[in-house]
Amino acid sequence: MSFDAVQLALIQKQLDHVSRQMGWVMVKTARSPIFSQSHDFSCFVGSAEGEVVAQADGLPIHTGGAGFALRAVLNRFAGNIAPGDVFILSDPYVAGGNHLPDWTIVRPVFCSGTLVAFTCNRAHQSDIGGGAVGSYNTSATEIFHEGIRLPVLKLIEAGVTRQDVWELLLLNSRYPEPMDGDLRAMLGAVAIGAQRLQKLFDELGADRSRLALEAVLAHADRMMREAIGQLPDGVYEAEDVSDNDCFEAVSVPVKVKLTVRGNKITLDFTGSHPQIKSFKNSSLANTTSAAFVGVMSFLGSAALPRNGGALRALEIIAPEGTVVNARAPAPVTMCTMFPAADIINACWRALAQADPQRASGSWGKCSYCSTSNSDLSHGKFGISHWFGSSGAGAVFGRDGFNVMSQVVSMGGLALPNVENYEQIYPIHVHSYEFRKNSAGAGQFRGGTGATYVVDVMAPGSYNFTGEGIRTPSGLGVNGGCDGSKGELFIKLDSGEVADTPQYGERDFPPARLTIQSSAGGGWGDPRKRDRAAVHRDLDDGVISLDHARSLYGYAEQPDKRM
Amino acid sequence: MHDRATLSPPWRLGIDIGGTFTDLVLIDAKGLLRQHKASTTTNDPSEGVIDVLRLAAEAAGLSTASLLGGCSHFVHGSTIATNTLLEGKGAKVGLLVTEGFRDSLEIRRGIRSDPWDHRKPFPPVLVPRSLRLPIRERTDKMGRGVVPLDDESIRRAVSEMQSRGVEAVAIAFLNSFISSQHEHECKEMVRGLWPDVWVYASSDMVRMVGEYERTSTVVLNAYVAPRVVPYLRRLESRLKECGLKRPLLLMQSNGGVVSVQQVEQRPASLMLSGPSAGASALMVCAKAIGSQDLISIEIGGTSCDVILTDEAGVGMTNSTEVNGYHLALPAVDIHTVSAGGGTIARRDQGGMLRAGPDGAGALPGPACYARGGVDPTVTDAQLVLGRLQSGRYGGGLISLDKKLAEDAINNRIAAPSGLTTVHAAAGIVRLMEQEVIHAVEKVSVERGFDPSRFTLVAVGGAGAMHGASVARALGCRTVFVPRVAGVFCAFGMCTADARQDVVRSWLKPLATTSASDIGEFLNTLAEETRQRFLDEGFAPEDIIIERALELQYKGQQSSVIVQVQETDISAIRRAFLEQFRRLYAHDQGEDEIDITGGRAVGSVRLGFTEQKSCERTRREIEPIELRPVYSEDIGDFKKTPIFEGDALQYGDTIDGPALVESSTTTVVVPEGCRLEVDSGSNFLIHANHMPGMSS
Repeated sequence: MSFDAVQLALIQKQLDHVSRQMGWVMVKTARSPIFSQSHDFSCFVGSAEGEVVAQADGLPIHTGGAGFALRAVLNRFAGNIAPGDVFILSDPYVAGGNHLPDWTIVRPVFCSGTLVAFTCNRAHQSDIGGGAVGSYNTSATEIFHEGIRLPVLKLIEAGVTRQDVWELLLLNSRYPEPMDGDLRAMLGAVAIGAQRLQKLFDELGADRSRLALEAVLAHADRMMREAIGQLPDGVYEAEDVSDNDCFEAVSVPVKVKLTVRGNKITLDFTGSHPQIKSFKNSSLANTTSAAFVGVMSFLGSAALPRNGGALRALEIIAPEGTVVNARAPAPVTMCTMFPAADIINACWRALAQADPQRASGSWGKCSYCSTSNSDLSHGKFGISHWFGSSGAGAVFGRDGFNVMSQVVSMGGLALPNVENYEQIYPIHVHSYEFRKNSAGAGQFRGGTGATYVVDVMAPGSYNFTGEGIRTPSGLGVNGGCDGSKGELFIKLDSGEVADTPQYGERDFPPARLTIQSSAGGGWGDPRKRDRAAVHRDLDDGVISLDHARSLYGYAEQPDKRM
Repeated sequence: MHDRATLSPPWRLGIDIGGTFTDLVLIDAKGLLRQHKASTTTNDPSEGVIDVLRLAAEAAGLSTASLLGGCSHFVHGSTIATNTLLEGKGAKVGLLVTEGFRDSLEIRRGIRSDPWDHRKPFPPVLVPRSLRLPIRERTDKMGRGVVPLDDESIRRAVSEMQSRGVEAVAIAFLNSFISSQHEHECKEMVRGLWPDVWVYASSDMVRMVGEYERTSTVVLNAYVAPRVVPYLRRLESRLKECGLKRPLLLMQSNGGVVSVQQVEQRPASLMLSGPSAGASALMVCAKAIGSQDLISIEIGGTSCDVILTDEAGVGMTNSTEVNGYHLALPAVDIHTVSAGGGTIARRDQGGMLRAGPDGAGALPGPACYARGGVDPTVTDAQLVLGRLQSGRYGGGLISLDKKLAEDAINNRIAAPSGLTTVHAAAGIVRLMEQEVIHAVEKVSVERGFDPSRFTLVAVGGAGAMHGASVARALGCRTVFVPRVAGVFCAFGMCTADARQDVVRSWLKPLATTSASDIGEFLNTLAEETRQRFLDEGFAPEDIIIERALELQYKGQQSSVIVQVQETDISAIRRAFLEQFRRLYAHDQGEDEIDITGGRAVGSVRLGFTEQKSCERTRREIEPIELRPVYSEDIGDFKKTPIFEGDALQYGDTIDGPALVESSTTTVVVPEGCRLEVDSGSNFLIHANHMPGMSS
């Protein structure tokens, strides 16, 4: 090994620090709430071979497969990558993107004329055109319905911004002004990152710099193999099934055959459902990310470096033409949530057979919708009803988190405050609290869903993505129960309850929206739950006495206080 | 003590309670300064306070009663609020919330600090759901009471809380940041029904938009109040019995002092009581150095606290997090990282060295303390490298054993990594210093500043051992080591002003808001600030109030604070653009700018006498010894002169490599650096920039 324990540590820390610095620049300068408040972006450093080396400040689902984007840049512009260039890309079929709304900016970093690394930034754009405001087009049947497709483009050539390309990008968005600011923030972030790396590389020299990045990746590889080596060898098969293809109620399974052999894992998704008509197909990059999240979060050591080195011990087989590796021109925009969550669940369930103690109840799937209005007379707005977020699954040692974001972000996205939303949007919220009796019972119970009731006081177009509202999705493990499925109602002023689809878009006048969001799955037999914990849930009104008796075998006097 | 000069009354006393030591600084009417350390007494911290007072009195040839009697300002940095929270020993709190919104406190906006580590639970919620009781009422987004406050639900809630043994009540209603009427009516009614209960309303803590943050703040306040307030009252009366004639003053998180009587309104404002005193100490350093651009690194046993100050003053923040709990009260912006003398180093399974985040604490402490610790720490590494040596430290309160340090580093790190013990020790120090470097970059770069134009102020017991090395890596030209480096916060307490911050959300587009509305809004805040001082008995003419607006481009998340002298919209816009460019190196033109809030910061100067300069000497100084000390520059030991810090005088200069040992700290002067003693007996190290890999 050409770097000792000390040098290795110093270099890895610096690379992590650089990716964090890029994040600071983004948060401080971005315009869209989706970046600045929800933090729906990731900054990372890539190697000259196209592997992610550091991603200290990222959303789990963004970066696992980000190497595909780097390799697309390397292939498309082989021999034509120069200092001062900056690339942009999004397309999952030709540019290694995960889905179209996530734009990736890639800036090469050179040392003495040799390409050493890339500084990168992947961020979810507010709108990229296509058939729906906000670019989640539930009726898309081809990728062409989903907005502008970006192959690998040079956005900046030798330090000069290509104004024509810039104008093309803005022209294709419904919100060009914030996009202009957001793009500048993204570029500023990778520029700062590149400047910092340059200093490090100049001290080390080109050859040693490249070796240093490889040493960091090799360390992660060793750590990962050590962790995999703790699992018993075997072949573990599991699946997670979606109950719809956005248009009809059909079973769409994601299947995985997970083989642990020594210090290596093979994830074979053969047998997963053929690609479907709607936008819940996954790109290979996204499937890789999801599998990475599934395995890493299961192994769960905070010390495991989350870079491309840790991916080397995983072999992923995803047959083309299936929901986990769709063929063009299938639409894919929903894939970072679904089937990403299905892929994570399938991996968790397979690994749970290898080590039941570390199993996790599934997190409830999406129960909310968004409301938008691009009619200026009412004032433009676009509301994501994140207050209707789901409960998380339980693991040994803790109950599921109540009211959390989706499993793909694992809590990396912040939920808003009601007060802030009431100030910005034409809404009045009546209720936002835990949903009683929703949590999957267990020795450790799932997280509760939310009860969210809101008056939307302007007419709006409702975009429904209710993956978790037809059947329970937060499934229990090791004898734990499933969390409740989500429910969603829209009541018009007339008192009539509107007909709403699981997926789709509908226009409504001012209306009252009620969401009972889906809840997380429990871990282990509820009858083995600590009695004090059952009592507390009862006292807290999180479960009813009936629920306590029938599911937890609760037998104490109801009025007894702790 | 070596200095027996008589003290000139009246003097100030600053007392800071740390994890290991309780520090005292005394400054008399002529600027004479004394510092003392006693062991911290964890069970009853006031014992340690009395101990250190006794030490100071003895050294001055006085009785404790005359020491206290001659004191004009007694300022205390109390850890009582912090410890109550960290130990989970706060009161049983009942929380009254708007019906339909019972769970904001426990949903915590869904934020996980490390999303990948999904197995880790949240810290326990401070009020269980069974004590978060719904009150029928609602204020809408315009501040109108659209559901009237329901007395009956308050009565029910009070009797429920009484039957469940609640000690303190917190009230947090939706939109109380716009109209606090319902909260205040509810508070009055609770008082009427239950006269002796502690009761706090969220809008009295801070009128900021965001129900989660406001709720968490008022709950923390109610949680610590029944522990903090009686303790402080007892301490004050005990000190008065011992001879103190003036009110006990407390250091708040905002870097200013306040009386016990005032702090009863907001005891949670003591959460950063100790470290925030670094802010006022830093302002004194700014005068001594003649520059306002300073970054302090205070390195103690477990952590490194970083504070930045520039021409706009010390960096402040509207929200802090203490052990995973959110507190939205104005505070000195302190960035803390796990990098201290006790930081533990280990080798991971992939063969990489790691430092922290955990530390060895005071017990068992580093391996070299011989108190049973086996994990190697930064202090052990410094001992192996010869920068510390076996024997007594901290005025004899601890003792170090080099053999134990060598064994720990060799067994746990060097042997399994194929490194020599010395190289492993040097690696531990470099890794820990890199953590400090990154922390300094965070507070500077994150705000758009280049750290190299700042002077580094190296304080705390271990700061001066790392200052020069950290400065060189960052490109800072100068390191300032004040002679009070080892008791920096206690010194800050002696020099702090009284301060009150009133911050309020106010969401308006700048373009359509009139200058008179802005003026009226800021006047309201200023009036509230002024009233707090008047309540404390300060004279109106001594109160200085600065007003500022918080502004941002529409949609942005972080606001820019713009001082407002006169309410002229175009001047405000210009100032915003100027400030924005300074922070982010670009602006976004005349895009829509939103007002998000305002603040009135009031202060009353409690000016102290600065120390007299003594005559500059020109003399040759001799080291007390030569001993081998590891040099990072040559990668090996080198015979290095050691000087006694307390004997150095104004004008003395020492060229590196050298070590300067004083009673509370050791200063490392690397090769190529020069140490100079200034007129206040502080050390200035001129660090020439030599790029190393640890940048």
